[in-house]
Amino acid sequence: MTHRDVAMSSSQTHTLEHRKSQTTPRRLSDGQFAVLLLLPGVALLAGVVLYPLIAALVTAFFEQSLVLPGRTFVGLQNVVEVLQGDFLRLLRQTMVFTLGTTILPFVIGFALALALNTRIRGAKVLRGLMLIPWLVPGVVVSFLWMWIFNANYGVMNALLQGLGLVDDPQAWLAQPGTAMGAVILAKTWQSFPWMMVMLLAGLQTVPVELHEAAEMDGAGTVRRFFSITLPHLKGIVGLVVLLEFIWNFQHFDIIYVLTGGGPAGATQTFATAVYETAFQGYDLGKAGALGLLWMVLLMALVVVYVRFSEKGEER
Amino acid sequence: MSATTQLPATPTPSTPSSRVGGGTPRPPQRLRRGGLRSERPGVRIAAWATVIVCGGFGLLPVYWLLATSLTPRDQVFAYPPRFFPAAPTLDAFASLAANEQLFGYLRNSVIVSVITAVLSVLVSAYMGYSFSKFRYRGRRSLMYLVLASQMFPQALLLVTLYSVFSAYNLLNTYTALVLSFTTFTLPLCVWMLKGFFDTIPDELIEAARVDGASRLRIIHSIVLPLAAPGLIAAGLFAFVRGWNDFVFALTLAGPEKQTLPPGLVNTFIGEASTAWPELMAASLVVSLPVAIAFIALQKYLVGGLTAGAVKG
Amino acid sequence: MSTNPLMQSAVSRRRMLQLLGIGAGTAALAACAPSAPAASGGAASAAATGGARTDFAFSSWSFTEEAAAPALEAIVKAYEDHADVTVNDVSFPYNEYINQLTLQVKGGQFTGAAHVDVAWLGSLAAMGKLQDLSALTEGRGYTDAALAAAQFDGVQYGLPWTIGAIGLVTNSALLEKVGVSGDAFPTTIDEFEKTLKDLKGLGGGLIPYAASTKAAQLKDILIWMETFGSPLVDGDTVTIGDDASVEAVTWYKSLYDQKLIAADVDRFDARSLFAQGRAAIYDDAPVGRGAVTEESPDKDLGSKLVPVSRPVLKAGDTPRALVWGGAIAVVDGEGAATAADFAQFATSDLDTVLADYEVRGLPPVTTEAQQSEVVSSDVFGSLFNERITATSSSNPFWAFTAYSQIETEIAEQVQAVLVGKTDPKTAMQQAGEAAQKLIG
Repeated sequence: MTHRDVAMSSSQTHTLEHRKSQTTPRRLSDGQFAVLLLLPGVALLAGVVLYPLIAALVTAFFEQSLVLPGRTFVGLQNVVEVLQGDFLRLLRQTMVFTLGTTILPFVIGFALALALNTRIRGAKVLRGLMLIPWLVPGVVVSFLWMWIFNANYGVMNALLQGLGLVDDPQAWLAQPGTAMGAVILAKTWQSFPWMMVMLLAGLQTVPVELHEAAEMDGAGTVRRFFSITLPHLKGIVGLVVLLEFIWNFQHFDIIYVLTGGGPAGATQTFATAVYETAFQGYDLGKAGALGLLWMVLLMALVVVYVRFSEKGEER
Repeated sequence: MSATTQLPATPTPSTPSSRVGGGTPRPPQRLRRGGLRSERPGVRIAAWATVIVCGGFGLLPVYWLLATSLTPRDQVFAYPPRFFPAAPTLDAFASLAANEQLFGYLRNSVIVSVITAVLSVLVSAYMGYSFSKFRYRGRRSLMYLVLASQMFPQALLLVTLYSVFSAYNLLNTYTALVLSFTTFTLPLCVWMLKGFFDTIPDELIEAARVDGASRLRIIHSIVLPLAAPGLIAAGLFAFVRGWNDFVFALTLAGPEKQTLPPGLVNTFIGEASTAWPELMAASLVVSLPVAIAFIALQKYLVGGLTAGAVKG
Repeated sequence: MSTNPLMQSAVSRRRMLQLLGIGAGTAALAACAPSAPAASGGAASAAATGGARTDFAFSSWSFTEEAAAPALEAIVKAYEDHADVTVNDVSFPYNEYINQLTLQVKGGQFTGAAHVDVAWLGSLAAMGKLQDLSALTEGRGYTDAALAAAQFDGVQYGLPWTIGAIGLVTNSALLEKVGVSGDAFPTTIDEFEKTLKDLKGLGGGLIPYAASTKAAQLKDILIWMETFGSPLVDGDTVTIGDDASVEAVTWYKSLYDQKLIAADVDRFDARSLFAQGRAAIYDDAPVGRGAVTEESPDKDLGSKLVPVSRPVLKAGDTPRALVWGGAIAVVDGEGAATAADFAQFATSDLDTVLADYEVRGLPPVTTEAQQSEVVSSDVFGSLFNERITATSSSNPFWAFTAYSQIETEIAEQVQAVLVGKTDPKTAMQQAGEAAQKLIG
């Protein structure tokens, strides 16, 4: 499950063979030097990622408070409680959020990339302007959309009322039916530019000669898109979708600031639930149990992905 | 703000000379890539329609941010709102400038993001180089682990990080923030830099070795200068991620070392949550440094992000 | 509390050290008898805190509130001049305050004086870092009721600062449009609902009652549950889930469905709506007066503000109101001794308290201040006292250290009812069970 594998699947075979011969193992003495180079990074990651992760997962088996000292071993009690409680709802909401904020930005980003890859006037300026939402910190995204969606003074209501699409102003962020959609829209606004940039970079590597040849053979725009452009983009599409999925699966900022997981938990995901359980409910055991289930799920997804991508070349 | 998104020269081993010369990425052979020269009217119309719809989605909120920040406070509660503020004013910006607390947050944000960027680049340069140019047992597994570590939920790491930093008396320090920020900057920096190092031909390193340069010297005086665009890209990336972080600073920084994002939330979510012009003005100000840094260095950043991912 | 003996021993140890440090006979005498009436402001506290004063931190949510902040800044300034120290302001917004403060106190980063809602004393005290301030209460003229409000489990964990209540505040101009004069506000829930409907009939997007519907302040529903007759807690047994609580939530939901109360409103949204003339009635403490009048485009709004008694279920019942009070607690550690002296100064120095009252309008806690001209001549304040504070009672959940978590559980369930995800009966039963579990 590496980005290189994804990238590799798009590259031509002759390049791969060439690289292989180029990077044959060096003499053994280099090994120690190579490990030495790794040390600072490995130490850092072990200290701030690996250890905290394991320690957090271990708390799943204890009854432990954030603010009071001491802990008691309770076995699987926390896990069982989480499974009997909110787990399925959280899973569903997390998946809705993650899929929504992966697919929507992809569609918009891809559409824009295709549009800007044509020779329309001002494409460069537009591309620059489109990047703005991506550069905005998550909390700012939340503030802005909180204001847009505001039930009493928000511009969204004014716009929709003006167009006759709604009769009364709606409290978009306070209704379970609309809150998740609103959060997804805000996150989409932030992520589509990144998708656009990556896909545009990919599009620009599609050789024009192929298109020209196909056009001469009488292939239409749509046909050329599916038989030339898309196969060429397979690698980059896989990469951006994968990364976006991973990031969104644990996204926190926008949900937390925009709705705080509400109304009535309708926008709660694993990320906000773990945070609130630990830092507002002070229940570390339950937070750990949620995290444990979350990691198990993640691992399952990884295994599925690796199986899936093993069809690609092995390095 | 015209944007030229350039890729570093595609790493094709058959033409290694394209990377060696100046150390800056050359524009790809643009003439033969990109859009078709002849476009049908239908394509053109579709392209414009897409740009208008998606562009509206992207830019109207930006306009609204700007417009609200210029609206006088007593007009902001008009409903329906005015799409063009009647009497634009800079009052909101003035009241921000008078807020000393915000300057404190700004200072903290700058310090923490810069240190994070430097530390991340340093550590991941060595790591990325090791992954790129050496072969040893466990290399692939370790690489996977590093790359996978960005999947580990921050909210979960925080549960332990808070307790550990608390035990070592590191809460409310820059150290805690920088260390926690590296959890999300390192994996991608390593990945980006490994991609860059991969494009540096092994022959070059061999040659330097034959000339008797030590391995460290090769890194410092040959490889790193050649990978300068990559280092800048990775550093910028780490800076932006650090600048934008919310949850770690919210929990680990305390009031004194608070950075801008949680600082803004604490300032404006509460009674002042209805001070929309000020909030929008503050939002604008917070976003600016990142935008400026990005525009100045974007060719490196986009190149860095796409290096290794896009192949011709 | 198992931590009390520990804490007391810590305090007495400190006093011992102070004795050694001071040496002077008079000061030692005063220290030995902290209950002796103080001759002048500061004598008793100087004795209790020992010789040299040190810099300390003072945290309050009011620093984040535009209308209230000047009052606090003035107090801090006055104390800095009085004691020749530097006070380090720390602020978190009210809705985030207890969580952030808890994290800071837990990690040992925060020591000094902390402005707290009396509701939070229990959960803060549970961490074992609050000082017992009973030695500082003598001879300062605190009323017994105020002192009691700042105690938890019988220990004086805070010095009372402003003890009042949260009640209904109305815009009399809007009410008169539907023929309700300031002195004839509906006394029963049925009449109240009818008035809300009349107000709704005025149109123009008017929100008749900007009641809290966001989770952050949905605790306001508890007072309506009490109005409907639920005791909330009986001894150690949570009674939420009983008929009265279900009826209260059903009624609240019906107001919500009829759009007599609005979605997505917390205290701050309510103030803003009220200030804009978009809401006729809302729940607040007197401190809200400054915020709404300052923010309002209507310069006369101040004269239209009328506090009213909460309607009751049957004519003749006593109107309910929830105590809402601020106290200053002292977190053990660096600067704590001077912080305690500051707490006493801020809450009981007459000039300071009266200057504070002029800005924040929150009821003071010393007899002297309460009887002063400044306070007694304030019409709004007097009416608020008479109609709301007089019959106020504290929230029975405050007696439990997991109060914040209990409140969150209840608020989440009420919100689920409001947005139609569940029915009042199920929701209140679940809320009751969750609260019971947290109480243990």
